[in-house]
Amino acid sequence: MTAAKAIINEIQGYHRFIKFLIFLVVLAALGGAIRFIFGLGATTNLNDTYPWGLWISFDVVTAVPLAAGAFTIGVVAHVFRIEKLEPLVRPAIVTGFLGYSLVCVGLLLDLGQPQRGVYVLFPWNWNVHSPMFEVSMCVMAYTTVLFLEFLHPVSERFGWHIPLRLLRNLQVPFAILAAMISTLHQSTLGTFFLIAVDKLHALWYTPLLPLQFWLSAIFTGLCIVMLEASLCHRYMGQPDESKLLATLTRIVPWVMGAYMIFKFVPLIAAPQGPLFDRPVLTTLFIAEITIGLFLPFWMFLQSRIRTDKSMQLQAASLVIFGLVLNRFNVSMFAMIQPGQQIYYPNILESVVTLGIIAAHILFFVLIAKYFPIFEHHPEAVDYSIPDRFHKIEKAGSVEVVEAPPQPAVPRAQPSPVAD
Amino acid sequence: MSTVNDFGKNKAFLIDMTKCTGCRGCQVACKQWNQLEAENTEFFSGEGYENPPAMSEFTFTRIKFRDYERNGQSEFAFYKEMCMHCNDAACVSVCPVAAFVKTPEGPVIYKTKTCIGCRFCMIACPFGVPKYEWSKAFPLVRKCTGCYSRVKEGLKPACVTTCPTAITYGPREEMIKEAERRLSAYPDRYLPKVYGKDEAGGTCVIYLTALPFDELGFKPVTMRALPSYTWQALRLVPGIFIGVGATLSAISWFQHRKERVQNEQAGMLSAMFQHPREQESQAQEDQTSQDVKEDQRS
Repeated sequence: MTAAKAIINEIQGYHRFIKFLIFLVVLAALGGAIRFIFGLGATTNLNDTYPWGLWISFDVVTAVPLAAGAFTIGVVAHVFRIEKLEPLVRPAIVTGFLGYSLVCVGLLLDLGQPQRGVYVLFPWNWNVHSPMFEVSMCVMAYTTVLFLEFLHPVSERFGWHIPLRLLRNLQVPFAILAAMISTLHQSTLGTFFLIAVDKLHALWYTPLLPLQFWLSAIFTGLCIVMLEASLCHRYMGQPDESKLLATLTRIVPWVMGAYMIFKFVPLIAAPQGPLFDRPVLTTLFIAEITIGLFLPFWMFLQSRIRTDKSMQLQAASLVIFGLVLNRFNVSMFAMIQPGQQIYYPNILESVVTLGIIAAHILFFVLIAKYFPIFEHHPEAVDYSIPDRFHKIEKAGSVEVVEAPPQPAVPRAQPSPVAD
Repeated sequence: MSTVNDFGKNKAFLIDMTKCTGCRGCQVACKQWNQLEAENTEFFSGEGYENPPAMSEFTFTRIKFRDYERNGQSEFAFYKEMCMHCNDAACVSVCPVAAFVKTPEGPVIYKTKTCIGCRFCMIACPFGVPKYEWSKAFPLVRKCTGCYSRVKEGLKPACVTTCPTAITYGPREEMIKEAERRLSAYPDRYLPKVYGKDEAGGTCVIYLTALPFDELGFKPVTMRALPSYTWQALRLVPGIFIGVGATLSAISWFQHRKERVQNEQAGMLSAMFQHPREQESQAQEDQTSQDVKEDQRS
């Protein structure tokens, strides 16, 4: 059987949901091709009044905080050393890596001159006054870090012991580096809109916008971890992690509380203009804070809800909804001036964004199928450092464990989604 | 940007809208000098006699028309729309690859060979000046260049050369002085305001009008230079980067140390050199005992 045949056979074996996802991704790829042949004007509903549309509002401004799970759980598990959360880390890193890679794809589609994207790296072009410069540098750096972290399950899968040992030692430095870079670009996404001082509505415009974006990225990142673990339990036959998630639900309300303080205090103490002069924006604001903020905050305060796996999922979903609405409010709805024609994404734009979401789920399921991302089992690989300097003997240890290095074990059972 | 510059010597446009006749010679001169394509337009497609209806990739400047009544008679008011060539321009500050440059002569110019096409300039510009080539597969931004190629050689911009009545061109401080002289000399002819003196931190296009500016379609803008709004957050970036790194490193070290001390107290000095499988089982035991504790607590 040739390689191509083997691949076709493999794909034919997939669940029909996976096949549907592949179909969506192919559609989006066609949409992307149309953008590069006929231009942005023909593919999207963008115009000189709306230079940024769905591709920026969702694929970049919203997708980046949605991919924040990797750095938040990394800090909680590796820096604060709550080690029992270890099983949640690796799926979150895969989600983050996919998220950032797809942010890059979305950005390349949206850029007028994607072939020049690398110009940002050339020192003679650097502009430290530009929030966009900062975000592009951070996104490139962080995607690299996530790639290196993602090499962990890859090396485990193929039994590359030396990179594994190296990556294992770099786990904590990487977690810290990830948090440093993420803090910068998550907040700077908020800084983007500080320059739109005469455009962004006063319900959202505040000099503290960067801080708000950073805090909301943190608690949403943790909620994304909950969502992903719950869905993997429900649809991919993974063990129930609700006990671990309950730990996260104890952290989330603290961050949400801080976010509320920094959201409402400046709004009441120093409003940047008339607040409730536009009914549509008022409605959006109220929807954002009640459904996406107060309700899940209240839910996370109830210990009954914190430990219940389906209620956890619901609360986390509400938080995610609130974040998506918040980012759309800031980057799109509240930027519309009164009397302006309304922008809505056309079918091609929407198909591309839908395809990017589908690609995220598809690649996650496929990676979960072929790489050990759920079973974090170091016992399968021999990490022990050779005792060159006889430290163990000097320390008076009784025995040195001599375990023969075992080959990496591929996933024990195939995921039920993909059969 | 945040550096203090003397913009008084910059070349600036003084546009006296009370003297504008609406001939639109500036529009034609601009198209000619910049070799801009004609636009297919219809009469009354914009507001009133405006044509074309808006600035675009093919139209860097245009005259806006307003009908109004004075002393029972219908009259026209005009507004010449163009790039304001801000002293501290938003587009210059937000461009990730520094494709916009504020030249020492005054015009804000755009480097076509550097732009990556993120369109942040279009979001940032408070006057809505940068326009995009939406019809192209690899589009660029288009905007008024302040006729930099002419100004550099000591000539005046094309629209200034053509305008028979309304535009004066010269060093910014002199233009502001001239504007203030006209305001005090003919107080009943003008609205007592020099638009562009402080708008968006000061611009190199200065307007005098008889009608309120918002009525003419001028955008209401802040008096602060726009880059200062983002810079007040961005200047904190290096400190936050190092601060977050240092804090998390300290926490990590402290948590590590706590664990080590616990291990030592348990007489497990060799734990660090243990085979991971044993560590794992140890951790599991710890966790089960912890779980038991938690259960007992609840």
